[in-house]
Amino acid sequence: MNWDAGLPLLIVATSLFSGLMIFFLSEKHVVARTTLNLGGAVFKLVLVGVMIWGVFHGHHYEARLPLLPGLDLLLRADAESMLFVVLSSGLWLVTTIYAIGYLEGSPHRSRFFGFFSLCVTATVGVALAGNLITFVLFYELLTLSTYPLIVHRETEVARRAGRTYLIYTITGGALLLVGTVWLYSMTGTLEFAHRGFVAGLLDTHRVSLIVVFVLLVAGLGVKAALVPLHGWLPQAMVAPAPVSALLHAVAVVKAGAFGIVRVVDDVYGVEATTKLGVSGPLAALAAVTIIYGSLRALFQDDLKRRLAFSTVSQVSYIVLGIAIIGPIATTGGLVHLVHQGVMKITLFFCAGNLAETLGIHKVSEMNGVGRRMPWTMAAFTIGALGMIGVPPLAGFVTKWYLGVGALDAGQEWVVYILAGSSLLNAGYFLPVLYAVWFKPAPDSWPDERSFGRFETSWALLAPPVVTALLTLAVGLLASAPFSPLQWARFITTLEYMP
Amino acid sequence: MNEITSALLLLTPLLPVVLAFPPLRSRISHPCYIALLPAIVLLLVPSVVPIELPWLLLGSGLGVDGASRWLLAMSVVIWTAAATLLPKPGNHAADNRFTVFFLLTMAGNLGAIVATDMVGFFSFSALMGYGFYGLLVSGGDKTARRAGRIYISFMIAADLLLFEVLLIAASTTSEMAFESVRLAVSGSASPGLYVSLVLAGFALKAGVWPFHSWLPLAFRSARPAVALLVGGVPIAMGLLGMVRWLPLGEITLPGMGLIIRILGAAAIIYAIVAGVKRSQLKLLPAYTAMIATGFFSIALGAGLADPAVWNQYGNIPYFFIVSLGFGMVIVVAAICWLQTDHHAPAAIVKQEDDPSLWIERCAGAVVRWGGKLGCETLPRLRSAWLAKAGSLLQVCAWRKAVDAAEYSLQRWILAITLFLLLGLVTVFLAAM
Repeated sequence: MNWDAGLPLLIVATSLFSGLMIFFLSEKHVVARTTLNLGGAVFKLVLVGVMIWGVFHGHHYEARLPLLPGLDLLLRADAESMLFVVLSSGLWLVTTIYAIGYLEGSPHRSRFFGFFSLCVTATVGVALAGNLITFVLFYELLTLSTYPLIVHRETEVARRAGRTYLIYTITGGALLLVGTVWLYSMTGTLEFAHRGFVAGLLDTHRVSLIVVFVLLVAGLGVKAALVPLHGWLPQAMVAPAPVSALLHAVAVVKAGAFGIVRVVDDVYGVEATTKLGVSGPLAALAAVTIIYGSLRALFQDDLKRRLAFSTVSQVSYIVLGIAIIGPIATTGGLVHLVHQGVMKITLFFCAGNLAETLGIHKVSEMNGVGRRMPWTMAAFTIGALGMIGVPPLAGFVTKWYLGVGALDAGQEWVVYILAGSSLLNAGYFLPVLYAVWFKPAPDSWPDERSFGRFETSWALLAPPVVTALLTLAVGLLASAPFSPLQWARFITTLEYMP
Repeated sequence: MNEITSALLLLTPLLPVVLAFPPLRSRISHPCYIALLPAIVLLLVPSVVPIELPWLLLGSGLGVDGASRWLLAMSVVIWTAAATLLPKPGNHAADNRFTVFFLLTMAGNLGAIVATDMVGFFSFSALMGYGFYGLLVSGGDKTARRAGRIYISFMIAADLLLFEVLLIAASTTSEMAFESVRLAVSGSASPGLYVSLVLAGFALKAGVWPFHSWLPLAFRSARPAVALLVGGVPIAMGLLGMVRWLPLGEITLPGMGLIIRILGAAAIIYAIVAGVKRSQLKLLPAYTAMIATGFFSIALGAGLADPAVWNQYGNIPYFFIVSLGFGMVIVVAAICWLQTDHHAPAAIVKQEDDPSLWIERCAGAVVRWGGKLGCETLPRLRSAWLAKAGSLLQVCAWRKAVDAAEYSLQRWILAITLFLLLGLVTVFLAAM
């Protein structure tokens, strides 16, 4: 096996290896577990760096292993997959550092970090999948590896949330599998291709293609939390903060949204999607999800629940961008894959810091907390303003491309959705910021822990500060080479060039 | 030389942001004065070559032309004057927070002046707006918080409108420099929407009548340093935005020009009547600002109605904005001096008739009239209508209903999915 085939396998295997090794460590082997965790994350990031350089220079990385007759387990690096691989690998490193600090002294850490690594293995597999069957396999592995993380605290509420999550995701997975098999029976191939591989069937299998599209999007829409398939996400916020970060920013919802991108771009292709008339309903569904999620977030007092509904809304920007069908809007959708990740992970890290340091779980308990935890709340402020779309933060760049793209595609109504969503985002984030910075602090906090001269432990503080700076950097330096925006434009150029 | 001026252009908005960083600020004495140094040096350079920053945001530029040099000079003077009124640096958290907002607002203000493109201007003015909101409410009383609430509401609405403007501009041209957009919009098929949105957006930001309700509240309750900034920061930048973004001198919109002139005249009359009727010394700058923005609106309307007028007197609005900034500083400083030394004539202070509460009074009147109408004419209808409206408007009830629907969905998701799947298969078989 040469380097070009070995590199994708190696990238998937790094976290798989460290995850399996961690399962065999006892609770007291803290140093070994930390070394494996961080070593695996850093090594993966280095390999991803090598791969992204190669892909940018036109190098072809592909690993093909026989799976079933006529079907291969195919891992392939293309521009689209690299966007998701970089996001998941980069944020995995930050989340691992955070999780080490968050779970310090708590039980079952080896089990937690083992599944945590498996979860990232599955996410990278989803990103690098070169055909639909490989995608489905890693997609299901993601479901199975995330469940133990959601029920990690072993409380009744956590178990209930886990059950709901399983019911939703397994049902979604079944729909995805049915759609995949049906598609294979029609096309005889499942390999992703630029502009899709169903164009030849448009005249003969029009209805079947529409039904398969609905099945695939419904299956993927569960993880992407499209309304009305979003019910599991607000419940799953009972999981520890690093898991919430993983669910909302790195892995699960992103896998669903990325899957929809793959279906539209590389299974059906934008032309076939338009000709079948399915892009309009998909855009409408995304728009409904954006507004519904924001409206629900407006009335939540539980901070993580508010953030969860915010995720429901924000992830649909990705789907909306893809469904508008146009190069500029697609760029906006793709770049939001990264932008939403860095913004939302910042917010969940901050929510975790508040809970771990002061015992704060509700928005109504956050009065004056900016004075007690200024760094954490400064990071939270950047994340929240980014979500609203305040320039020059990441969210502004996304909304800019979606808005310009919608006008370019002649879909002016999207601009009103963006404006309404921004208004609602301001409605559920600005009162929090006001309470944090300007309301007087209470005499005591619900459950305060002291960390000496620092506001909290460095392992909990460094990750949100880093991701908040990233939120600023990816917006401010959006037009710099190798920025997420430039990479998204690179992908769109490949997809739409004549 | 060009490298030095490029660095100065970058540092003009960047240094205040860097100095707002708490660990750095606490190690440097007089950070608010030091933050102004690049702008001061820039003013001394006779000719500044604009710079292009293709890596910044969506591709931006910075520069100083003749008009912005005057505006920069005005801002430097105003910020220096305001900095002298700041509390001494210490360990008081509220004062430290105030200094952070002070520096961030300064960065946004100076950045907006040196920005040569619309996205850059929009970004810096957003930074300025959020920073100024912090200045308004930081350590302020109930009135200051109310002023802040109204200001931020207007600012969010303004940002939404101006974002739409940016999208319209981007759909007409790929270049977002002020000059390119002006030319592109004036040549477009329907520039009316663009012009209306720009006017509404910046009127909200500048507190132009009838969006002025935060102005009297801000002047009455804000710290002297903040009151000093109102004229030169939000108002001046709002007016500057109109001049920079509108295709004035290249477009003829007589109808809109007339409406703007009428609104300007109405603003002047309102400010004079309200100012005379409910005089309060601290509110004098607010009414002065409203009269000034009224005159500015009349000039703008004239320019929209007849491009030749604007082309003949095109530089005057910049000098007007600069004069307004300086004038407001002098008025506020004079009032501060009068009040500090108890020179204020007691007779003109009349608290009970608060002109800033007109919104509440109007709303109250509508409620009272509605109540009377219902009670005296159709009592049964009124009570039935109220009961129905009350139940409909109970947000809690709606939330419970939505929660219940989601819970049911969670319990039945498997069955619903199978049912939908069956439906899809049926549709497919029927189509075969």
